[in-house]
Amino acid sequence: MKDLYLIYKNLTRKPLRLFLTSFAIFIAFLLFGAVTTLKSALDSGVELSADDRLVVLNSINFTNPLPVAYVNRVKAVEGVSKVTHANWFGGYFQEPTNQVVTFAVDPETYLDVYSELVIDPAQQDAWFRNRQGILIGERLAKINGWKVGDRIPLSSNIFSQDNGSSTWDFVVEGVFTGNDEQVDTGYAIFHYKYFMETQTMGGDWIGWIILTTTDPALNESVARAIDDQFANSSTETDTSTEKAFNKAFIEQIGNVGLIIFGVVFMAFFTILVVVGNAMVLAVRERTGEIAVLKSLGFTSPRIFRMVLAESMLLSLLGGMAGLGGAYVVVAGAKDAMAQFLPNLVLGTDTALQAFGFMVLLGLVTGLLPAYNALKLNIITAFSRR
Amino acid sequence: MGSVFSQTMAVIAMNIRSLPQRIWMSLAMILASAVVVAILLAFLAMAKGFEATLSSAGSDDVVIFMREGSAAELNSVISRDQVNLIEVAPGVMSDANGPVTSAELYVVVDGIKKSSNTEANIPLRGIQERGITMRDNVTITAGRMFTPGTNELIVGAGILQQFDGFELNANVRFGKNVWRVVGVFSSGGNVFESELWADAKVLQSLYNRGSSYQTMRAQLTSPGALETVRAYVENDPRLNLDVQTEANYFAAQGKQLGYMAIFGRTISIVMALGAIAGALNTMYTSVAERSAEIATLRAIGFSSLSAFAGTMVEALVLAAMGGVVGSVCAFMLFDGLNASTLGGSFTQVVFSFELSPDLFRQGAGFALAIGLISGFFPAWRAARMPVVAAFSKVA
Repeated sequence: MKDLYLIYKNLTRKPLRLFLTSFAIFIAFLLFGAVTTLKSALDSGVELSADDRLVVLNSINFTNPLPVAYVNRVKAVEGVSKVTHANWFGGYFQEPTNQVVTFAVDPETYLDVYSELVIDPAQQDAWFRNRQGILIGERLAKINGWKVGDRIPLSSNIFSQDNGSSTWDFVVEGVFTGNDEQVDTGYAIFHYKYFMETQTMGGDWIGWIILTTTDPALNESVARAIDDQFANSSTETDTSTEKAFNKAFIEQIGNVGLIIFGVVFMAFFTILVVVGNAMVLAVRERTGEIAVLKSLGFTSPRIFRMVLAESMLLSLLGGMAGLGGAYVVVAGAKDAMAQFLPNLVLGTDTALQAFGFMVLLGLVTGLLPAYNALKLNIITAFSRR
Repeated sequence: MGSVFSQTMAVIAMNIRSLPQRIWMSLAMILASAVVVAILLAFLAMAKGFEATLSSAGSDDVVIFMREGSAAELNSVISRDQVNLIEVAPGVMSDANGPVTSAELYVVVDGIKKSSNTEANIPLRGIQERGITMRDNVTITAGRMFTPGTNELIVGAGILQQFDGFELNANVRFGKNVWRVVGVFSSGGNVFESELWADAKVLQSLYNRGSSYQTMRAQLTSPGALETVRAYVENDPRLNLDVQTEANYFAAQGKQLGYMAIFGRTISIVMALGAIAGALNTMYTSVAERSAEIATLRAIGFSSLSAFAGTMVEALVLAAMGGVVGSVCAFMLFDGLNASTLGGSFTQVVFSFELSPDLFRQGAGFALAIGLISGFFPAWRAARMPVVAAFSKVA
């Protein structure tokens, strides 16, 4: 008990220094929490992709179409369980800058394959029945303030209708959520048939095929069987797991992302070094006092523990506040920037990682002075004065 | 007045010369200031480099036509009829070889990015000789021009540098079509270097585009002719096209990494707050350690102004040293660093970080602000240090 009081007194002997040091630690962990959350949100597409899901793309590039007949041929491949397809619509709402990620899909099979999407059964049925119906994700609904029953005109920056207009009218029939907080719900899906009948480019073509395998172990052989089937045809395919595809897509943003996170983490560690240095020096100033404590009969291990506990407390004080700050910032940014960013969630693993760094900071900054205190010879300490 | 000045100079010199005694605290402050400056410069250089790559591609007297609302070249479609109508539009320049216009195709193909070994989108532009001569600065740096009507292509210098498999004389396979790289071109570092160029007619047939194109560029008779062309397009219902100068089009796309600059500034400001906290710690410690010295000086008649200035200048010098270290590090690490990212047309844009003098000025401003704030309060304390302190400590 007495030790605790002493630690408390030591910590607060210079309130200004205590404040400044914990503030610097606060900033470091605020940045760490916020930036790690951003990174994990960007990576969530890879993390959450299903093991047994494959995507079949035109081998030239995914912006090139596939013939719709491929859907049935893929279905016939052994090891394939469910198959669906999607087209990129290039949607925007009113202004070309206000992009709305929209896909034209085959409703029943799409929801079957993307089993992580959660939707009210009544809304689902209503959407299946209404060809002009559109199903929107919760985040998208929130950004634009759309509700079930709303009529929304969406324009396409690629396609147009027979009458020359590039705007389609839809009725919001349902809002879907995900079975995990990080599942992206920032997009909308509507009927492929409605799209094909109204757009002027003609033809029965699709953007890409998504399928599930009966067993993830078969992924590789199924992918090869599909690509072999279409080799040397007019449209060759490239089949990969959803995870690999999402990963490659994130890689497109490229080393820019890598550089950003690299720079921020470098900054994080530099703050820790700077603060740690100040903490070590602060204890060193007290050499004389430690000698007094020792003369009074405090054992060396006891002093060792006290010094270590002090830096640990300081580190946790600033760090936990920083993590809390990051939580608040993330919660704020989630709504304010919903249009630009996927679902931001400060996950447990981020918090644990941050906690680990706090303990590490406390240990590293505490160990050296604590060790010095442990080894301190009373006589030399007094004679040094 | 002269004595106040010489006193101040003497204290400043003393403080600076005694810096090595407080080596660890001083280094910590330099480091903190250096990191803030380096981070700020890294983000700004990225945004700047990207913007420069795009904005230098556009010309003010070339207009670009795209389908209404398509926003990017990839999404646009232009029919043969529309091409014919634009060629005779008033305000569009003609010379001995006919109208100075270029109808182009823009398809996306896969390339293997060296940095990640994954597939990334590269634009393959269908173009004809007119289109190449219309672009300033385009030079073939190796090999030769593609021969119209064949499966030959030329590759931009940026692609060659960031992607595998596009070396001169290599065969490249997109889907079932095989292309042969016959030349490398440079366009002075702008976005066109992130493209592959091939004959438009060959692309039309290989990609089932019939006689349609995607975008059309036209040379204006004068920079002011834009309005003439726009009026012509608006008055003809067959031309449901957006028309803008090429410079405007690329300037808008160049803003895309603008969020990087905002993100970078936000992070730097938050970081700077942390750095200031650390620096204040340093300066307060410096004042506390020298309290006896400061009080002694005051006792023998030095003014409080000299004590203030001494501490203030010490903080500024440390922060400025940090600023220099940060700038040099940022320059060595980032200037000219090549990167590629997704651009507006959903394809890779290869660009290099660019640290301009203006950015260094911003970095210097940041460092000095850190020095000022973290110097002021401790200097204030030093100036108000009671003379008694000089003697109480010794006693």
